[in-house]
Amino acid sequence: MRCEVSNQLTAFERSDGRWGLRNHVLILPLHSAFSATARKIADDSSGAVAVSHDWSGEVDGDFDRIVKTISGFAANPNNFATIFITIGTPNELAIIELAKKIGLGKFEVLNVAELGSMSKIADIGLQMANSLLKEAKLSQRISAPWSAIKLGQECGGSDALSGITANPALGVASDRLVGLGSSSVLGETTEILGAEHLLAARAITPEIGARIVETVARYERSINYEGIDMRGAQPSRGNIEGGLTTLEEKSLGAAKKAGSAQFSGVFEYADQVINPGLYFMDTPGHDTEQLTGFAAAGINIVVFTTGRGTPTGSAIVPTIKVATNTTMAIAIPDLIDLNAGTIADGIATLTDVGGELFDLILEVANGKLTKAEKGLHHEFSLSRMYNTVIR
Amino acid sequence: MTMKGFDHGNRGIGVRNHQLILPSVVCSTRVSSRIAKEMDAITFAHQHGCGFIGNDVGRITDYFAALANHPNVSSTLIVGLGCETLQGNELADKLLSKNKSTNYLVTQESGGVQGTVDSGVAAARELRTKYPTPQVVLPRLHLGIDLSNESPVVTDLVAALADVGVDVTISSSHKNSGLNFSDLMEAGVHVILSFPDSNQPASGFPLIPTINVASNSPLHLALKDDFDLFASSSVVEIIEKIYAVVNGEQTKVEVIGAGEIIAAREVRSV
Repeated sequence: MRCEVSNQLTAFERSDGRWGLRNHVLILPLHSAFSATARKIADDSSGAVAVSHDWSGEVDGDFDRIVKTISGFAANPNNFATIFITIGTPNELAIIELAKKIGLGKFEVLNVAELGSMSKIADIGLQMANSLLKEAKLSQRISAPWSAIKLGQECGGSDALSGITANPALGVASDRLVGLGSSSVLGETTEILGAEHLLAARAITPEIGARIVETVARYERSINYEGIDMRGAQPSRGNIEGGLTTLEEKSLGAAKKAGSAQFSGVFEYADQVINPGLYFMDTPGHDTEQLTGFAAAGINIVVFTTGRGTPTGSAIVPTIKVATNTTMAIAIPDLIDLNAGTIADGIATLTDVGGELFDLILEVANGKLTKAEKGLHHEFSLSRMYNTVIR
Repeated sequence: MTMKGFDHGNRGIGVRNHQLILPSVVCSTRVSSRIAKEMDAITFAHQHGCGFIGNDVGRITDYFAALANHPNVSSTLIVGLGCETLQGNELADKLLSKNKSTNYLVTQESGGVQGTVDSGVAAARELRTKYPTPQVVLPRLHLGIDLSNESPVVTDLVAALADVGVDVTISSSHKNSGLNFSDLMEAGVHVILSFPDSNQPASGFPLIPTINVASNSPLHLALKDDFDLFASSSVVEIIEKIYAVVNGEQTKVEVIGAGEIIAAREVRSV
């Protein structure tokens, strides 16, 4: 893959050669009980971000997946630094160790057991966060190659226009980025169900194509195992109200996000995205589980198309919202960054809007804040595979 | 001992007067937290309400309904997004059949984030005006005990509590206090007395004051400032603390604002 130097893109170069499009100081609790303390540090600081989660150190079937998710999130190149809040158990330390293997980030550890209490952690964490934020301000964006962009594709609250406006516009922008040497990742396994054969036909090898098909089948099997027909739950009620009729219609539309480039590979959830090209990642359709998995994979910017409108974002990954229809874009303007409904209105062509979106991706990569960032939408969800009722 | 309570109508008499801003889906947790901050109300982050199937839909709906019907809740404002699986209006209808002091809002129909925050604050204020909470005497206390960790004091404590007319529900199904808290919440307990596992920190629940009792484990000794009581605390001291908390004394985790919900799920998200 050619990797062209861009004269337009700037980013923060990390010591291991990865590129950040943001320079966050992240407060990351390694136990759910410290979520409030993490939020307090972030709220009181001069710009740190925090996430909350519901993992309390359980070691069950999902342990490896959770370790991978939290450590990858910590190591995302958009983080200038990550402050872990831990009680120092071996399981929590495993997360910190894995984060260090993923990237040479700046990792600080606040051990509650050593420091004595949550309120002490709040004070010490605040000082530490503010001092890291000062340090972060000293680092400068420099000219970056197109390979610095690792784009995640997402859709949520889809409607009948998703597959005609916003998703294909994202496909245009994705194709252009892939052509220039960026990485671009399609996820949402459950939402390409019924369209997987079309994606598989675009794989660079038959093996990769077969893996796309098998990844979708594997997801469906895991749901069937529970005695549930996933096809009965899709399209969702919100999708139906938005005018979608069948799962296949939804999936065919969702797949349009990936444009027409060839698929270079398939990732498991939260696998590190390193090389340029278009990829498929096995993620749930659940918006924030997907977004969290993308962030954990080192994806540093996301385009999120939406028909019904959704405010969700990530604490560390800028998330660009593209409306599929003008009615919604006008009705809820403070969560939409770009309206692709103009295509259906006959005002703009797919090429126009795809080009606008490409430009917007570049602007946001260069530091322009998205609506979700301005609104501090920092949702974070751990994706689990197994029953938690019986734990 | 006289116990102060708040008359929350069909929810019962509570020991706290919390307005609940209930995000019916993960997508509205941020909007909910902005409303809650403005109103000094209770909310929490979670990842449920959409992308889920099977029994979990009913399970989580029931869980949220139990939260909203809890005696410590004065009124509930449900904040939905609009297109999610768990529909806020259906949850609201379910709650309204028991408690009139319930309202719901949908971001997709309220002009976006700011519009929802503005209408949410107005709706929360209206609920407070329309449904004032009289202060009353709590006739009978329902205490929940999270027995994630066994404690020698519990047998004597439960006997002493029975003597003074306190109802007790014990949850020891899980090693994870958060899951026990959820069971105790569904049982409607006013206050939780938590004996966390020796390798777990003190923790809390959003609507229910949680008193944490430390063991003699190295972790608990190291974190003693987060605990309200200790392995050396006597039955009398524990009961005194419970009464103090019932009458308004904030627990350590209440002061910090620590309180997450852990809602169990049967099936992975889709």
